[in-house]
Amino acid sequence: MSSVPRSMEAEGPGPVRAVDRERRTQASGWWGAALLIATEATLFACLIATYFYLRFRTSEWPLGGIEKPSVTLPLVFTGMLVASSIPMFFSVRAAKGGSVRAAWWLLLLATVVQATYLGLQIHLMVDDLHSFSPQANAYGSIYYTLITVHHAHVAVGLAIDAWLLWKLARGITNYRLIGLRVAAFYWYFVGAAAIAVVLTQLYPSL
Amino acid sequence: MTVSTPPATAVRLQRLERIWKESPGVLGWLTTVDHKRIGILYFFTSLFFFGAGGVEALLIRTQLIGPNQSTLDPATFNEMMSSHGTTMIFFFVVPMSLGAFGNYLIPLMIGARDMAFPRLNALSYWIYLCAGVFLYVGVFSGNGPSAGWFDYVPLASKAYSPGPGIDFYALSLLFVSISTTAGAINAIVTIFKLRAPGMSLNRMPLFCFAFLAVSFALIFALPALSTALILLELERLLGFHFFIPAAGGAPILWQNLFWIFGHPEVYIIILPAFGIATSIIPTFTRRKMVAWPLVALAEILVAFLGFGVWAHHMFAVGLASATAIYFAAASLIIVIPSGIQLFSWIATIVTGTPRFQTPLLWIVGFIVLFIMGGLSGVMFAAIPFDQQTTDTYFVVAHFHYVIFGAAVFPLLGGMYYWFPKVTGRMYHEGWGKASFWLTFVGTNITFFPMHILGLDGMPRRNYTYGPEMGWTGLNLIETLGAYLLALGLLAVFVNLAVSLFRGARAGNDPFGGDTLEWSTTSPPPEYNYAVIPKVSSPYAMWDTEDREEDARNLERGRKTLERGHETAASTAVDADWDEVLEMPSHSAWPPLVALAMAGVFTMILLQQWLAAAVFVGVLLCTVAGFHLKEPEEA
Amino acid sequence: MLVVAGVVFLGAVAMLVVGWVRRETPGLPFLGENEKLNTGLVVLFGMAIPIVILVALFIVSDLVLLNETDAPQASSTAMTVTVIGHQWFWQVRYEGEGAETANEIHIPVRTPVNLVVRSADVIHSFWVPELNRKIDTIPGQANSIELYAEEAGVYRGQCAEFCGLQHAHMAFRVYAEPMPKFKAWLANIRKPAREPATPQAQLGQRYFMEDGCAACHAIAGTEARGTVGPNLTHLAGRETIAADTLANTPEDLFRWVQNPQAIKPGAKMPGLGLGPEQFHAIVAYLTELR
Ligand code: HEA
Ligand code: HEA
Ligand code: HEC
Ligand code: CUA
Ligand SMILES: [Cu+2]
Repeated sequence: MSSVPRSMEAEGPGPVRAVDRERRTQASGWWGAALLIATEATLFACLIATYFYLRFRTSEWPLGGIEKPSVTLPLVFTGMLVASSIPMFFSVRAAKGGSVRAAWWLLLLATVVQATYLGLQIHLMVDDLHSFSPQANAYGSIYYTLITVHHAHVAVGLAIDAWLLWKLARGITNYRLIGLRVAAFYWYFVGAAAIAVVLTQLYPSL
Repeated sequence: MTVSTPPATAVRLQRLERIWKESPGVLGWLTTVDHKRIGILYFFTSLFFFGAGGVEALLIRTQLIGPNQSTLDPATFNEMMSSHGTTMIFFFVVPMSLGAFGNYLIPLMIGARDMAFPRLNALSYWIYLCAGVFLYVGVFSGNGPSAGWFDYVPLASKAYSPGPGIDFYALSLLFVSISTTAGAINAIVTIFKLRAPGMSLNRMPLFCFAFLAVSFALIFALPALSTALILLELERLLGFHFFIPAAGGAPILWQNLFWIFGHPEVYIIILPAFGIATSIIPTFTRRKMVAWPLVALAEILVAFLGFGVWAHHMFAVGLASATAIYFAAASLIIVIPSGIQLFSWIATIVTGTPRFQTPLLWIVGFIVLFIMGGLSGVMFAAIPFDQQTTDTYFVVAHFHYVIFGAAVFPLLGGMYYWFPKVTGRMYHEGWGKASFWLTFVGTNITFFPMHILGLDGMPRRNYTYGPEMGWTGLNLIETLGAYLLALGLLAVFVNLAVSLFRGARAGNDPFGGDTLEWSTTSPPPEYNYAVIPKVSSPYAMWDTEDREEDARNLERGRKTLERGHETAASTAVDADWDEVLEMPSHSAWPPLVALAMAGVFTMILLQQWLAAAVFVGVLLCTVAGFHLKEPEEA
Repeated sequence: MLVVAGVVFLGAVAMLVVGWVRRETPGLPFLGENEKLNTGLVVLFGMAIPIVILVALFIVSDLVLLNETDAPQASSTAMTVTVIGHQWFWQVRYEGEGAETANEIHIPVRTPVNLVVRSADVIHSFWVPELNRKIDTIPGQANSIELYAEEAGVYRGQCAEFCGLQHAHMAFRVYAEPMPKFKAWLANIRKPAREPATPQAQLGQRYFMEDGCAACHAIAGTEARGTVGPNLTHLAGRETIAADTLANTPEDLFRWVQNPQAIKPGAKMPGLGLGPEQFHAIVAYLTELR
């Protein structure tokens, strides 16, 4: 029993690394995040299923003469968001390896990319709003709902990033490392969801 | 039980006592993160909602006591009927089983000192409380939901339900889903991570398997409900279109989403009851469960298969034959895991040494009622039969047998069974038996005639019926039965309430229980176990050498984890000791977060978007506050 | 099915009774704590026997019987009747005949009728227990079943899906009649309303047209073309009013038109607050609409 680590007490790069190495199961926080992601993924699945349910009830799609969505920009932006997983991944790596500074900068890089993505996306959405409204018909409704739910997930991710940037600036603890790993996990999920959402959104033009 | 305590042990206990102490008085209850206290809060809150739902039920029955009565006008009847279903399902059974029983017992049964996320646990409770209050503000202000508990559109759309009743319904359910999701995640992580070292999955009590299955089912079922509710509110409050055909929507979309959630939900309701049954039966038959692995498997299977049968609630909407046949077949398959469990209970009772004390009586009652309700359920899977009986009182009979008979009876039996553990006192055995028989007889008098009425064509959700229909006599009997049933329940609660003050001292293990919770004191100390218990079978309490070793460990200070708010974490499957976790202690943030959320929901209801945004800001601040303190800084 | 259910139920309860009889005594004579044997029992009763029963049930009910309740083939029926559910009455149309009525459906006996159901507002469910299964009326969707009566007679039907305040008072009748009688009935229904004969009825017609009734009700052959309420062209030919809630007698008719909310609280027809003489006149007019 003396070999069992008191993991929550680990503070500073060395001990944190040791705990992370010795632990044989994922931390509780990671499990919690995994389950949260499972339930959120189901939510997206339900929304996308709704989209196609509505779609296959009519022959005309988009409904009511709404223009088909243009493909390029959303795909490019999505690529950008997915790419932000790379600095996320290396940030976790760096934190595990004990280089807190590197981890912080990588996280900042990811955050900037993600924030830019959200800004550009909102810009696109405002453009869409000029051409058709969510109240127009079922197509408009599910289109904007799907995108907005996705944006909300990105926004939550940004809040987590901000909190971690603040915490990591003051050194690393086991708790913060778990936080970083959870954040990375969350962003991989948001990236995957973004792909699913954008493919659904662009489906009429594909 | 009196054991002389060696001095070293006494010192250790005192230290643990000091470390785990929470604030005294009301403040203590507001800021508690102790799973036992949260369980008790859940218990009384859900009991209150049981009372509310029960009063609504009695009003419904009083209205239906004879033809053309006017105890309730149609509008009130519909509100009572809808609130009854909604309250019982979302604010009574699920919080009672998962929140009260799960919270109190899971950590005890697996030898942990708290749930994996104690503050999240508190947060779940406060959210649940706020959501319940939210709904009942609507009900008491005459704006209760009135489109039935499954709230079909377009009846629930703005055009046909212009008042805010449906908004109260939808928002309060969205609200409470947050709580339930958090609770389910917490339960799963607790079961995976905090089992006492040695309790590999195949040594885990079946009770925990049931709760594990329920929690997983919740995680995958609730999003479908949330989706449906979000779409509904977007349509009602912002004029989006999802369900109205003229704008390209589809009313059946709601039904699909609702039942994709709704059917798993009914197994979510019944599985904890199965878990309680599998705890009580071994204790009172002094015998291990027959076919243990099959039962564990069946519990998981029921939860899983429950996702594939939803459209059996929709046989009358004009499904394509092939679709209907698939869902009928799936509904039949789900009988098998139920059958396995059922005969395992029966076999255990028959081949064991049964002592028919009050808790076991409730379980036997449960078995009988579950067979009744299950068999009528199977009949619905015969599509032509369902197409005749759907939306009649036959369905009402089916689900009250399975819900009240099969899901609530074990909860009541469980209340008797764990009463000595939670309070340290014994209930009154004679009154216990009397209350059982009153309730059991009352249940059958109330719900059995509904089968006949249903076959005779009485539709459900009718606020009245004509004398010429010939339904008068049976309805009268049902109503009288419901009063008897209420009397039986009253006897249960009076018995427990009086015993709380007058009952004999219970000791640690009055029944010769099979699981770990009986090894600690009654009521258990804040830290549950002074020593992380040793476990080598699913019937840990019956492994006497292990319990003796615990006592020796305590004397020697081994596995006592007394440096702080600590508990042991182990690997997910084999339960090898993995780490020692520092658990957070009391916190005022959970109720604050819940209040901020309540603000957001209230402002959405009032369509005050700006204020809602402000409350989202407040919510963010409280969530940040929640995370301000890291465990090691405690 | 009920018998099989009874046997299963009694069998299981019998086992429990055995347990009760042997309370406080350990085990059964030879089963006792023999795990293998007991597990076998569970498998036998919990899996093997149920599978046999379930498969049988499935084949009989879901494969064989189901066909009989399915929507009819287009060519197999003699005529099509469309029923449209409203909060809280039934609009009935005889397709291709230009005939419309409400709450009372006449069909020829021993003739398969294709029944198409639709909804004007929320979901209702069309159900005549003695004739066929339930079928929901769903906005934006047309469902159909076969309506077939083996014997002449009056069959009561009712709305089976919760549809709001007056879901309890949304019944109707199906009259299965020999073909000639049905034909005669249909011929009459196709005609426009006859002109009022008595002076009081003529007065009643005037009130009907001028005081608001015509905004909601249609009477063929007059300027009343409302579509909110039931078609009243041949109201007097019906035996009941307000979806099988009242008998179609002058007294009940008077009670209804004077204050529908007292009879069906929440119904979509308001009490128009006219004086008794006006209502008496209107009733006189309505009772002439044969
Ligand atoms: C968990 C679920 C649950 C439970 C326990 C019950 C319990 C009961 N139900 Fe209900 N019921 C539903 C779920 C449930 N029901 C649902 C989902 C519907 C469908 C709604 C719909 O159509 O939309 C329904 C519908 C329904 C109907 C049909 C309404 C209709 O179609 O028009 C009726 C009619 O008799 C009825 C009766 C009863 C009765 C008499 C009880 C009795 O068993 C109740 C007895 C309970 C009490 C009498 C309370 C006693 C409590 C105490 C004494 C506690 C003390 C209190 C404090 C300390 C505060 N229920
Ligand atoms: C606790 C909740 C619970 C449980 C456990 C069940 C269990 C089952 N239910 Fe039920 N059901 C409800 C709650 C529940 N139900 C509710 C609330 C509704 C109505 C919702 C509403 O409309 O408001 C409903 C409605 C409902 C319908 C729709 C009816 C309709 O509206 O038209 C159907 C249709 O298939 C159905 C089927 C089943 C089946 C096949 C089971 C099976 O799981 C039962 C399995 C158990 C047994 C069969 C008994 C034990 C086994 C044996 C003794 C072995 C031998 C048996 C055989 C060989 C048959 N249920
Ligand atoms: C706002 C609309 C409205 C107005 C105005 C109205 N009705 Fe109605 N009427 C209805 C509706 C809707 C029903 C069906 C009510 C039900 O059964 O729930 C109905 C039912 C009836 C019935 C029963 C028909 C049947 O077949 O069962 C009669 C008769 C009737 N109305 C006569 C009148 C007369 C006479 C007036 C004027 C004094 C009138 N109505 C004004 C809407 C209206
Ligand atoms: Cu129409 Cu119920
Ligand atoms: Cu179901």
